[in-house]
Amino acid sequence: MSSLSSNVIKDTVADSGRVTELFNEQRQNIFRHTSHLFSWLMIFQWFFAVGLALWLSPRTWAGMDSRIHPHVWFAILLGGIITSLPVYMARKYPSDTLTRHTIAVGQMLMSALLIHLTGGRIETHFHVFGSLAILAFYRDWKVLLSATVVVYVDHLVRGFFWPQSVYGVLEAPIWRSFEHAGWVLFEVVFLIISIRASLTEMLLVAERQVNLEELNETIEQTVAERTAELTRENAERRKSEAQLAQAQQIARLGSWEWDIVKNKVSWSDETRRLYGWRAEDGEFSMETCLERVHPGDLQIVKDSLAESVRTRRPFVCEHRVVLPDGTQRIISGHAEVVVNESGEPIKMIGTAQDVTDLKQTEQALRRSEDRLLQSQKMEAVGRLAGGVAHDFNNILTVIGGYCSMSMQALEKNSPLQKNISEIQNASERAASLTRQLLAFSRKQVLQPRVLQLNDVVNNMEKMLRRLIGEDIELSIAFDSSLGRIKADPGQLEQVIMNLGVNARDAMPRGGKLTIETSNVVIDQKLKFRNRTLDVGEYVLLAITDNGVGMTDEVKAHLFEPFFTTKGIGKGTGLGLATCYGIISQSGGDIHVYSEANCGTTFRIYFPRTDALMEPAVATDNSDMPAGSESILIVEDDPAVRRLAVVILGNCGYKIQESNNAFEALATIRRVPNFDLVLTDVIMPQMSGKELSDKIKSQCPHTKILLMSGYTDDALAHHGVLEEGLLFLEKPFSPAKLSRKVREVLDSQPSATEMLRKNGG
Amino acid sequence: MTSVFLRRIGLYALWLFAIGAGLVIVLDYENASGSAGSAPSRWISGTSIPLDASRDTLIMFAHPRCPCTRASLGELNRLLAQSGGHIVAHVLFFRPPNYPADWTHTELWRTAAAIPGVTVQDDMNDAVARKFGAETSGYVLFYNPQGRLLFRGGITDSRGHAGDNAGESAIISLALGKPAAVTQTPVYGCSLLDETNSQSNAVQ
Repeated sequence: MSSLSSNVIKDTVADSGRVTELFNEQRQNIFRHTSHLFSWLMIFQWFFAVGLALWLSPRTWAGMDSRIHPHVWFAILLGGIITSLPVYMARKYPSDTLTRHTIAVGQMLMSALLIHLTGGRIETHFHVFGSLAILAFYRDWKVLLSATVVVYVDHLVRGFFWPQSVYGVLEAPIWRSFEHAGWVLFEVVFLIISIRASLTEMLLVAERQVNLEELNETIEQTVAERTAELTRENAERRKSEAQLAQAQQIARLGSWEWDIVKNKVSWSDETRRLYGWRAEDGEFSMETCLERVHPGDLQIVKDSLAESVRTRRPFVCEHRVVLPDGTQRIISGHAEVVVNESGEPIKMIGTAQDVTDLKQTEQALRRSEDRLLQSQKMEAVGRLAGGVAHDFNNILTVIGGYCSMSMQALEKNSPLQKNISEIQNASERAASLTRQLLAFSRKQVLQPRVLQLNDVVNNMEKMLRRLIGEDIELSIAFDSSLGRIKADPGQLEQVIMNLGVNARDAMPRGGKLTIETSNVVIDQKLKFRNRTLDVGEYVLLAITDNGVGMTDEVKAHLFEPFFTTKGIGKGTGLGLATCYGIISQSGGDIHVYSEANCGTTFRIYFPRTDALMEPAVATDNSDMPAGSESILIVEDDPAVRRLAVVILGNCGYKIQESNNAFEALATIRRVPNFDLVLTDVIMPQMSGKELSDKIKSQCPHTKILLMSGYTDDALAHHGVLEEGLLFLEKPFSPAKLSRKVREVLDSQPSATEMLRKNGG
Repeated sequence: MTSVFLRRIGLYALWLFAIGAGLVIVLDYENASGSAGSAPSRWISGTSIPLDASRDTLIMFAHPRCPCTRASLGELNRLLAQSGGHIVAHVLFFRPPNYPADWTHTELWRTAAAIPGVTVQDDMNDAVARKFGAETSGYVLFYNPQGRLLFRGGITDSRGHAGDNAGESAIISLALGKPAAVTQTPVYGCSLLDETNSQSNAVQ
């Protein structure tokens, strides 16, 4: 770099090293481009010189003879020599200093050649000045000096050796050699000034470029930092959004925004899922969104929204939505109204939370509470009923038993027959009442078996027709493919009977009683509606009347014990409570649908079972089978004990009796070979069940028949008799007792037979 | 590095030498004059060129196809312009025998004919030139009205080279009645004679 450019660079404020680098880079570019220009220019000049020679002096003559003019050869050969090295250097080393000076020398020599070829025309001398101007393209004043030196040397040498070729005279003073070159120098001086200005400008451009680069670098750094920051923020934002979406999904809590002005609703993914919209669904109007709301809740939601918009108060509304697959959800919506500067509502921002499970849990809890309350009530009543039933059944057993025996002892025409019969009927009604008390409080002992509901109804048809009378039409519709259920047939008959009586009473002027059976499958959808039944297969018994129906108030207390709409003395208030108790105890459920003056339908669901049918127990009759086996009767109630002794003694059995369990065990130790022990269950000090266990351990072949009017779960789990236990329910008739005893004794080899077989 | 430098030095030396040698040859050629011949010191009558009785008469002999003569005609033009109308000029172009006039009527002929005060005619087979002893194109003879030879030679300083020269200056001085620095100069141009006829005195 020249001292000129160095001085300029020192004055710059930018990074001088970079300025120098850019300046030199620019100069190198200029050198290369100018060298390239000259490489073509000099080739062109060479061809031009040859063309010029061929045009001006193609041939030289001597009279009629001619040959190629020496100028042509000079142009070709000398022009070629002059051109060759500069062009070579320009192509090979375009930015070399030596190249520039070679080109300068060559260009001046080419000027000299052209001047010669044109016969020294003054116009051709302009080639020198033009060449200097083009050489100034290099912006290197030293190149101009080289060119000037060539001009000087040319004039000096020719002026010395061939002065006439330069000055037109044979002799010329030495100063004339400077005259021609002086004009060249004149141009060179101004070209150098121009070069200096150009270099200064180049330096300023370089400085500006450096400043620009520094600015760009600062901007790029800022952009990079900002981009990194944005990237980090975006990543954090995406993470937060993902966490929010996940949290919304976990909480089943979505967000939504309603642009009130444009009536456009946008929502989060969770809200979209809650309302069953698809992912590709865009924004909807509020009216479209409300299409998912359950028709029963739609008006409430609309009113709540309108109220919030009008009053600017928060929107709070719980409503159901119906999803495209038909399932329903309960959504709790909350929102705030956003107003503009004028106080006008412009949007509503809110949340939607799926509270279905919560609501179902609440309802289940409420039902559980209701059930607990009911259960506690039932327990209290049950305790009362149980306590009463135990003693009451003993009394009724005695009354009924002696009535039966008295009627057998009396003549058929005896006037006492009727009196005793009335006593016995009253005793049976009292027994029935006691059974119902135990039934609705679920304290009775069920003896369920697998059965066909159609058979049960079919067996009751005649009795039902008698019960409801002729004014009421009985219609029975069976499902031929009805599934089996496991229930106590006697209790089932009790349920049908009670509902039949209720239907009859609801149709005082006649009507139609319809009994239908069918298979029902409870799925999630139905479960949502029924809320009490689990998902599964059920057998449905529907009993419908077209009577007076019920009000909601009546329906609310329908299954409560002692609740009755019948007049005093016409109903005990235990019928439906008994039904409810039996059905619940059987694992089923009962629903009632009723409208005043339209009728009532009771729908009873029993769990369906795939187990095989079990044979029915023999029907009741008045036969009293006899026997000779030994029987120990254990009963703390002396009246009942005496009755049993009399009945079984009359049947031929060898009877011993005990007042309590300890006494019975003492008797057994003394006489261990009883064929049967008939024992009460509820006894002081030791229950019949404990006694049974002890006897079984001591005398495994002795059969045991338990009897009781109330067992207090001593024999049953949840009211169902334990497997393997033989049980006789109080109150019993003499025939029932004797048949049961015979049935037990005949069920398997007795102890006597076993001893006999064993040689005892 | 050194070998590259040396190669470069050698290359430049060879280049400069070749150029120098070429320039020397060019200059030597440019400055090689033709045969001047022997001009008559008195006007020769009986030719197609009349001697003007009141003004000086200038005769130039030219080869119609000689490139170098273009510079001589240029100088003649300048000379006549500066002589103040004291000169009657004739340019005689060599015309070979049995050649049509077109061979002679070249661009040089038209250049000469365009110069004011110049009479151009062809010189069949150098008949007039031989009489006046002209052997080289561009050869000029300058006679006063009395027919006395005042100057002979060329009016360019080198072959085909335009510009001020001693011959031109001398003629202008003589035409203006002033003494001339020289009365004889070398002639630069093509030979008017065939190679065979001028082996002894024509230099090209």
